[in-house]
Amino acid sequence: MSTRTFTSRLALGGICTAVALAASACGAGGPANTSGGAGPSTVNVLVEAGGHAELTGVAEQCKKETGVSANFVELPYDGMFNRLSSEFSSGNVSFDVAALDSVWLPSFKNAVQPIDEIFTDEAKKDIFPALVKEANVDGHFIGLPAWTNAEIILYRKDLFEDAKNKADFKAKYGYDLAAPTTWKQYQDISAFFTRDGMYGTDVKGGVETEWLAHVLQAGSPMVLDANNNVVIDNAAHKEALDFYVGLAKAAPSGAAQVDWAAAQNLFNQGKTAMTRFWAHAYRQIPKDSPVAGKVGTAPMIAGPAGVGAVPGPWYLSVPKATKNTEAAKKFVKCAYDYNDKGIESSLGLASRISAFEKYQDKAGYESFKPLIETLTGKATATRPATEKWQQIVDTVLVPMLQKAVAGGDTATLLADAKKQIEDLLK
Amino acid sequence: MRVAETSKHDGGTPATAATAPSVPAAVIPARKRRGANREGLEAGRRSTRTLLWTLLAAAMVLYGFPFLYLLFTSFKTPIDTIAVPPTILPREWTLENYANALGRNGVLASFINSIQTAIISTVLSLLLAVPAAYGITRYKTLSGRIFIMAALVTRMVPPVAIGIPLASMMAAVGLADTPIALSIAHTTISLPLSIWLMSSFFEAVPNDLEEAATVDGCSRLGALWRVVIPVVSGGIAVTAIFAFLASWNEFLFALLMTAIRSQTTPVVIANFQTQFGLDWGSMTALAAVYSIPVILLTLLLQRKIVAGMTLGAVKG
Repeated sequence: MSTRTFTSRLALGGICTAVALAASACGAGGPANTSGGAGPSTVNVLVEAGGHAELTGVAEQCKKETGVSANFVELPYDGMFNRLSSEFSSGNVSFDVAALDSVWLPSFKNAVQPIDEIFTDEAKKDIFPALVKEANVDGHFIGLPAWTNAEIILYRKDLFEDAKNKADFKAKYGYDLAAPTTWKQYQDISAFFTRDGMYGTDVKGGVETEWLAHVLQAGSPMVLDANNNVVIDNAAHKEALDFYVGLAKAAPSGAAQVDWAAAQNLFNQGKTAMTRFWAHAYRQIPKDSPVAGKVGTAPMIAGPAGVGAVPGPWYLSVPKATKNTEAAKKFVKCAYDYNDKGIESSLGLASRISAFEKYQDKAGYESFKPLIETLTGKATATRPATEKWQQIVDTVLVPMLQKAVAGGDTATLLADAKKQIEDLLK
Repeated sequence: MRVAETSKHDGGTPATAATAPSVPAAVIPARKRRGANREGLEAGRRSTRTLLWTLLAAAMVLYGFPFLYLLFTSFKTPIDTIAVPPTILPREWTLENYANALGRNGVLASFINSIQTAIISTVLSLLLAVPAAYGITRYKTLSGRIFIMAALVTRMVPPVAIGIPLASMMAAVGLADTPIALSIAHTTISLPLSIWLMSSFFEAVPNDLEEAATVDGCSRLGALWRVVIPVVSGGIAVTAIFAFLASWNEFLFALLMTAIRSQTTPVVIANFQTQFGLDWGSMTALAAVYSIPVILLTLLLQRKIVAGMTLGAVKG
């Protein structure tokens, strides 16, 4: 082909394609109208990619029962906050329902509608108390918890049941080797299994919720008290941080870099005997993992204030800017009515107590009883309702934890953190 | 020289090259000398070639390793993808990741959206960059020089600062969630680079060519279309590839501006990372498939790209 012919064809082909596509102005995804409403009986639901699976069963049932169908817009977690901020601030939303991470609720409280009608007395009894509290912002319920999670204890059943391990452990510590119910036992078991290239537990310097769970168990509100005073340097925080850092002796090195993914990876590879991890991980152990079928579950361990954990719920909210409020609210109601459908998804989570209870005795759902116990724990509480929370986590809490697990002085670190948080909240 | 001495004692048998007596060059016949020189040259060439091939292979391994690692990971089993320490080759080969990735809802649609967006954006970039670059290089005005410098300023602004207002603007004019809107956004990224690239290609074309064409009866536009454009076709191909790649791999604008109708594959690939975990296998499988069209396109236009890269190299 000559240069001239090539150029002509390139230009002509390009122009024709552009004109054809511009004329259609339509992508491959179908004809849904996403600028402000998707028609009276179709709702656009914005979800984090993992949340789509959770709501698929709900959507199918909702279509059958109410005629409201759902188009899912999936976005990666890291980009969702930017997208939501952009659309809420412009007042022109491309979705009718959004699944919001609990930490985003305070930021978007003015952009979403109250859904008080769903929170009947009966509903409130069937949703974990901490979540009922968190969904209520300034006297109105602004999000329905669609699914929730909490950290529980996952441990290597095969190692715990091994006769030699049992005998050796009893000889060394004077009591039977079993799933830990006290933090002293957790420390002993962690130390016992730290040998032969294996570790008793992990320590996550890259995430804050686990340390905050220890703070709750020690009887303190996390970071901010009821009047929004910064209490991060109190005795409970110090005690929790010292304990947390102390576990590093029985954990793989480089704790400052360990985050959720790394910790899950270590456990699934068979490198750690125990982990404190979100309950969904139990059902996500790969079939070809050396620990598949060998994992036991236990509730989060109680501290002086009782069992405490930081729940990780996602809420379904209806933006004020949607033109499809009625269908959107119907979909949210479906998400409550058919909440147990989420359990049959790959992630296998729900938010209603009755939904978890329905499955708790079935094989494959052994994580549910510990999860229910942890979520109803006396000290279990949600994160402070401040729109600065994510900023506090990213710029203060995680860097502080990383320094602490790397050997920093905990009292000094907590004092510095207090100052930084106070500056952020000014 | 113990060997040489031994040989001498053995009756002077030339056992090795080291033992050969040195003969003055003038005594060796000329043909023999030329043969030896040729052999030396050949040996030198061979070792240079070997060295070059070794360097080339090393460079290819270095450049290709990330892609090869991605490719191998896409064939690994779930536990293999997260092995500590990581393995390069799969311990067990599987196609399960490809089945998961390609079976995911909306993947095919996202591919079509990516292709549409990249093509429209490339065409828009070329339609705007070619005349702009031609005008700047041929008319050499102050405003042209200022314009080409200003074009680069858009590259200095963080994309997120442009993306959020652009997304709002597109929604306001009813273009939200369309490939057109995303293509326009992508053109803002590729246009400055396209103008700069095309300017350098036009610079390489001597004015005499156009003057000759005008003497032969062409108008200015006719000379541009009939003479200059064919000469810079290689450059246009290079610019097109850059513009296409910029759009094909762009993530942030796609994240902010697309939803159901126009979501592109980079966003779908990113969706394998959720708050609850990362599906490495499926992510790498989809990324491997997504890279195929670009590799094919580059191979297809390879000759043009080389021509474009060397345009003006032998101007005389």
